[in-house]
This record gives sequence, C-alpha cells and structure tokens, in this order.
Amino acid sequence: MNRRVEMAAVLLRASGENLRETGLTGGIAVATIATALFMLGAFALVVVNMEGLLDAFGRELQVTAYLEEGLSAAEAEELAARVETVEGVDFVERVGKAEALERFRAMAGGGALLDGLEGNPLPASLGIVLRAEQRTPEGMAILQSSLDGLPGIDELAHGQEWVDGYARLAALLRVVGYALGFVLSLATLLIVANTIRLGLYARRDEVEIMEWVGASRLFVRTPFLVEGFVQGALGGSIAALLLFVAFGLAVPELRYGLAFFLGNAAPRFFDAGELVRMIVGGAVLGVGGAGLALVGSRS
Amino acid sequence: MAGMAVNTKTQSSAPPARAQAASEAPVRMFGVSKSYLPGSWALRDVSLEVARGDFVFLTGASGAGKTTLLKLLFAAERPNAGQILVLGRNIARLRGGAVPALRRRVGVVFQDFKLLSRRSVEENVAITLDVAGFSRRATRSRVFNTLRQVGLHEHRHRQPLALSGGEQQRIAIARALVGEPDVLLADEPTGNLDPELSLDIIELMMAAADRGTAVIVATHDLSLIERFDRRVLRLEDGRVIERSRGPGAGA
Repeated sequence: MNRRVEMAAVLLRASGENLRETGLTGGIAVATIATALFMLGAFALVVVNMEGLLDAFGRELQVTAYLEEGLSAAEAEELAARVETVEGVDFVERVGKAEALERFRAMAGGGALLDGLEGNPLPASLGIVLRAEQRTPEGMAILQSSLDGLPGIDELAHGQEWVDGYARLAALLRVVGYALGFVLSLATLLIVANTIRLGLYARRDEVEIMEWVGASRLFVRTPFLVEGFVQGALGGSIAALLLFVAFGLAVPELRYGLAFFLGNAAPRFFDAGELVRMIVGGAVLGVGGAGLALVGSRS
Repeated sequence: MAGMAVNTKTQSSAPPARAQAASEAPVRMFGVSKSYLPGSWALRDVSLEVARGDFVFLTGASGAGKTTLLKLLFAAERPNAGQILVLGRNIARLRGGAVPALRRRVGVVFQDFKLLSRRSVEENVAITLDVAGFSRRATRSRVFNTLRQVGLHEHRHRQPLALSGGEQQRIAIARALVGEPDVLLADEPTGNLDPELSLDIIELMMAAADRGTAVIVATHDLSLIERFDRRVLRLEDGRVIERSRGPGAGA
C-alpha cells in the first residue's frame, strides 16, 4: 500500500515535470481544446435555449376559438360550457369583445393607433387550455374535429404550426451540433495526440532509459495521460470561462435578435452540471488524445 | 568455472522465487542463436553461465555479437533458438509486464552513458529507484551512498555535461548499481574514455562483483582485459571461439 502511495507520488512528480516541459506546444493544445469546446458550447447554448423555449411553449399552448359576431353573452356562456366537456380540455377562458380590445390596447402600448377606431373590430373568443398530456399534434387534431361544426365558432387559431416549425429548427440545430461536435472533437483529439507525441519525442531518451531501468508501461505512460488530462480540463475550464464572459457581453447586444428566437424568455447560461460536463469533456478529449499518441508510438 | 563468490547481498527480504534462484547462476544461456536478417547470424549456439560474484569480459571485434548477447540478457531482444535464463526467468517466454520486473534486477551501462543532460547527477541516478517506487527519503539516501561509492557525491547537484567523460560514466554506473542489481551488464563502458579512467570504471564494476553481482563487461579493448585476472569470452561472427582468463596484472 505504502509502495503504491510512493509510486503515485513519483508519478505525480513526473507528470508535473512533463507539464512544465511541454511549454508552448502544451499551450497550443490547451488553446485548441478551449477553442473547440467554446464553439461547441456556444452552439449548445443556442440549442439549449431554443429547447427551453419549446418547453415553455408547450406549457402555455392554448387554442383560441373566435366567436361569430352577434353571439349573445348567454350563448357564449353555453358554448364555453360545451367546449369544456370536450375530451382533453382542461379549462376554457371567456374573452369578451371589450376585454379583447382592452388586451390589445395594452399589448400595443396604449398608443394612439386605436383611438380612431369606430366601434370594436375584435371578436369575442374562448381561450381553450388543453391538459398537459393532450398538448400534442394528435390532441390538437382531436380538439379541432370536436369543435368543427359547433354553432357559434367562427375560427380556430393555435400556434401549433409555428411550434412545429420551431421544434424542427431546434432538432436540426441539435443534429448540426452533434455533427459539429464530432468533427471538432476529432480535430481536437488529433491535435492533442500530436502535441503529446511531440512531448514523447522530446523525451524519448528519458523514456528509453526508464524502460531499461525497469519502468513498467504504466509508469512510462501515466505522465503523458496526466498531461493530456490536465490540458483537456484546463482547455474545458477556459472555454467555460470564455463562454460565460461572451454570454454576458453578447446577450444585451443581441436582445432584439434573441427576442425573435426566444420571445420574452430570458436566455439562460449553462448550469453547474453542464459546465462540469464541459470540463470533463475537455479532460476526456485530452486523455483520449494522449492515449492515441501513446498507441501510435508503441515502438 | 571461475569464482563462485560468496553472495554478500542481503537475502532476508527476498521472495521465495528469488531465494530458490539464489543457488543457481543468475545468467545461463544454452545454445542461443539470434538472427536479425534471414541467413545471417548475430549469435550462433552460444552457451554461457555467469555465477553470482562472477566478473566476465566479453570480447571480440565490432559486429562479433557482443551487444546482441547483452541485449538478449536484458530482454531488449528475443533469441531465435536456445534458452536464456536470467535470474531463473526464461527470456524467450517473458510476457510484457515481466520484462520491467526483470530489468529492475539487471543494471545496464552503455558506451555513450545515456544520461539525461537536463537532470542533475542525483536525478539521473534516482530514476532507477523512481521506477521501482522507492520513497523519496529512501531514494535520497541510497543515491547518496551509491554516488559516494563512485566518488561523485559532491557533484550530485551538478548537471552531467558539466563533468568529465569518466565522471559521466561513473554516474551511469551509479544508476545501474543503485538498485542493487543481481546482474550488471556493460556494453563498451570504457569505449569513450582514456586508459586511466577506463581502469577506474572496470574497478568499480569489479567491486560490484565482489559484493555478489554477476557482471558481464563487453569490450574490444584487449589491453584492458590483459590487466585483470578475469574470465574472458571471445566472440567471432556470433560464436564463442575462446574461453580463457586474463593474465591478471591487476586483480
């Protein structure tokens, strides 16, 4: 046991020396990993935010049934009661003509736009909220067919098509992200492997001597794997830090563009778990690159 | 056969396999042949036994097979035919992990020293103990004592390149001896040194033999061999053509 601790201490020292001696090439490896993970992270942030918004849409998704002109309040009441009995409907909110105008006025910022209006052009409507498990294209279709032909309903409006399109875009971005991640990871892996191989080459005399005096394969390799690990974790941490700074700087600048994509939802940054995964990802890339270098230089 | 010297090394901590092997000569070769290219033999049908405390000169012209023989003994090469037993282990059958374990008990010295120029003298010697997992404190004291044996303890913090060729070779010998190997192999250890320093180096290795290590020194320097009364194996074209003793001016 004591021997193992001593061996670990020796290996740690050797790893430290390895790191000290890698210098510029090591710095390049760290920068490469940081750049790759920064790009991946930025992409992931966009996808994560879009998906977060999709979730929010899902929760808020409601169908609006515009009522025909001239329907009395009692008729509207009766209609609302009938709609509430339709399968999958959670509750129905009645919005009268006056209330619709009031809401519109509030949304438009109370400007003079509506002042010249004669009368109220907005129809009364029913806001229909589906139960959560029913908020799917299928649930929407059931509702649609149930409401079809109900007297008093002029038109059904819902954001489903828009949501579907948005979801398709998010899914596409996710696929592109995976592809980008794969390519960047591969490139990073090769660069790290090359860096470590340079280190291995620079220290080949030492490695040779260590083998002659009886160093095990593990003993010879561990410092290089540790080097890859540290470079990777460092690259990941730098990427996380840069992303955090870039996020803080970019979000206020891009708020109009972001509003287009995210609506009123505030863009979110990675949580702690996601950041840890990013750093671990860097470390995995580093160790993988080191492993690749060691396998490639067996002789 | 010369000098079954008394083994003065402590065996108290030796594992059973080691104790069992203690009665056998640590280096035994039977009918060993080695070829790097089809049709040409670097070694042919070589048999050899070197006991504990034995000191053997291996001589012959360049290309006679001296280096190949040493490489086979520290498992840098595998034989094409024959059996090689080093410390009771069959070299031909050693699997990956067993090679480092064997090498920790076999010290090797090269003509060109093979020192790490960016490390201090002390660090160069310590590498042997580092790979074996010795504690830092144990390493320091053993390195110091070994450097004192070779007369370099006062230079332990210097860089090897700041020292003379003879001193550099003594560092290499200290590196080979610090792990108290059962076998010491040296390939032309005096090849780069002038005659006076060469004697020094050989005497250091003889001292190791006196402490119980089996020592094989390859050299083409006949004048050196003639100064010592030690067993000599002459190789030519990969074959042992003569087994004799040096006339022994200085042993």
